[in-house]
Amino acid sequence: MSKSPFEGLLSALTRQRGVLGSMVVAEADGIIVDSNLQIGLKGTVVAALAASLYRKARHSAGAAGFGNAAFLQLEAERGHVCAVGRNELVIVTVAESRANVGLIRVEMMRALGQLG
Amino acid sequence: MTISAVEDWVEPPLRAFVGDARVVLALLLNTSGQVLAQHGFTRAVDVMAACALAAAIHASGSELGRQLEGKPFSGLHHAGRERQIFLAEAPTPRGAYIFLTVFDRESSLGLVQLYFDEFKVRLAAAAPPKSEHKPALAENFEGDLNKNLAALFGRS
Amino acid sequence: MAEDIRRLSDELTRDPSSLVFIQLGELLRQQGQFDVARKVAIRGLERHSHNADAHDLLARIEVDRGELQSAFDEWDMVLRIHPAHAGAQKGMGFVAYRQGKLVDAERYLGQAAEADPDDASIASALAFVRKQLAPPAAATSGAADGERGGGRSTVAMQRMAEEAGLRPSWSDGGGGQSARMLFAETIGDGEQTVLLLDSSGRVMAGAYLAADGRDVGQEVGAELSGVSDEAQRAMRHLDLGDWSSIVFETDVAIVALGPAPNEGLIVVAAERATPLGFVRRLQEKSLQRAREWLGAGA
Repeated sequence: MSKSPFEGLLSALTRQRGVLGSMVVAEADGIIVDSNLQIGLKGTVVAALAASLYRKARHSAGAAGFGNAAFLQLEAERGHVCAVGRNELVIVTVAESRANVGLIRVEMMRALGQLG
Repeated sequence: MTISAVEDWVEPPLRAFVGDARVVLALLLNTSGQVLAQHGFTRAVDVMAACALAAAIHASGSELGRQLEGKPFSGLHHAGRERQIFLAEAPTPRGAYIFLTVFDRESSLGLVQLYFDEFKVRLAAAAPPKSEHKPALAENFEGDLNKNLAALFGRS
Repeated sequence: MAEDIRRLSDELTRDPSSLVFIQLGELLRQQGQFDVARKVAIRGLERHSHNADAHDLLARIEVDRGELQSAFDEWDMVLRIHPAHAGAQKGMGFVAYRQGKLVDAERYLGQAAEADPDDASIASALAFVRKQLAPPAAATSGAADGERGGGRSTVAMQRMAEEAGLRPSWSDGGGGQSARMLFAETIGDGEQTVLLLDSSGRVMAGAYLAADGRDVGQEVGAELSGVSDEAQRAMRHLDLGDWSSIVFETDVAIVALGPAPNEGLIVVAAERATPLGFVRRLQEKSLQRAREWLGAGA
């Protein structure tokens, strides 16, 4: 079976300390294109909800006059969800509270270039 | 949000689905095409048409799946320019129902699938035990259909 | 203060040509008795039509009443009498800004800065106006026409207005003024803006001024409150607990959202180049301020 074009970037993200999983998601559908997830992480659930949140943030930012939204980070009691998108694809990362979100952000912005 | 249901037990799971998934239309019907509950429709004739089409599509899709893979297809999705359709079967102890929903940019296929999975669980849990009833005869079918439509649109 | 007003009123009654009307008018203005203050000022000007301070008093009363053009005319009269009157130049700069006349605002504030170079509020307001006038790439970190850019702060202009002794009526009087200025101290002189929204996405406190001086907080708040609704929906299923912050970076701004009491929302917007950690810190401080204000029965 041929490798997905996103396998490398997902591996690099999931190797970051505290990252529970990462995936490339179709923004419009919220369907996973490719993923690298730890066991127990409900990828389909995260994908649908994170893509919807990212899309909402992008549209709201545009409507409010802030231009295009790029990186999004949601911080919660027990972890973070980060998302960055281009060309109708969104890279989503789920991480524990202890994760270094700054490093994750750098890695995700680097990976963004691979979305075309 | 206006949900109308022929049988009360259907309403809470459907209300939860519509609230979470933020769909435009939702329809639950039995495999014969008789409506059980609806959300978003304004005319009975539209409900009738949607039910007939949904039942036919479901029947065709199921048969196609059996021919190709030996088992029915689990669901159908069609994306239009502005709206999308999702149609799938919802099994319960009382038998299988057909679920049809229409959504736009406020939702997504992933969200609809996510909340539909929850809907199936809730619907099955809420369904009363299967009661003994005779199969619908042809001469009763139209009467039952009209009675259901009247119940949904408040004309019973 | 009531005692002083009585004393000055008595003195003015004894001697209607006395200049105490200026002091009396100012005290009445500070008390919010704008109509009475205006009558006192006008009556005094009938006898002292060439007194610059009297015209300045009337101008400030007119600003408090929301009559910006009338205020502008009075300050114009002050400058005819006393060309280097910094208070009048500052006031005209403020009015010009509120009217969206940024070039005029810069000119007046520039003159005020020359007349009173030690007034930090004038310098701050002038820098703010000059930034608005700069080409888009320089002023707003790449904002295109029609884009708001991050953090169009009201603080610089509002602080100058305060220090000039102005309490411009925005739309709803004293209570509204304190609500709009709620985050002024938290923001300081920074180029950020903070809004407190209620559960329906309506602005409760803070303001967001566009380049033309309009408060667009309501539009911005309404759009962004939808993001928090989406986050609420997501959190029910993600098993990560309650959300505490959403930060997203756009072409021209960093926007941070955070839950506020009573299902409200704190919105912080900052220039794109602002460090993320600073924005988060500002969000936390603003939330604390909002809690204090709401707890005080605002």
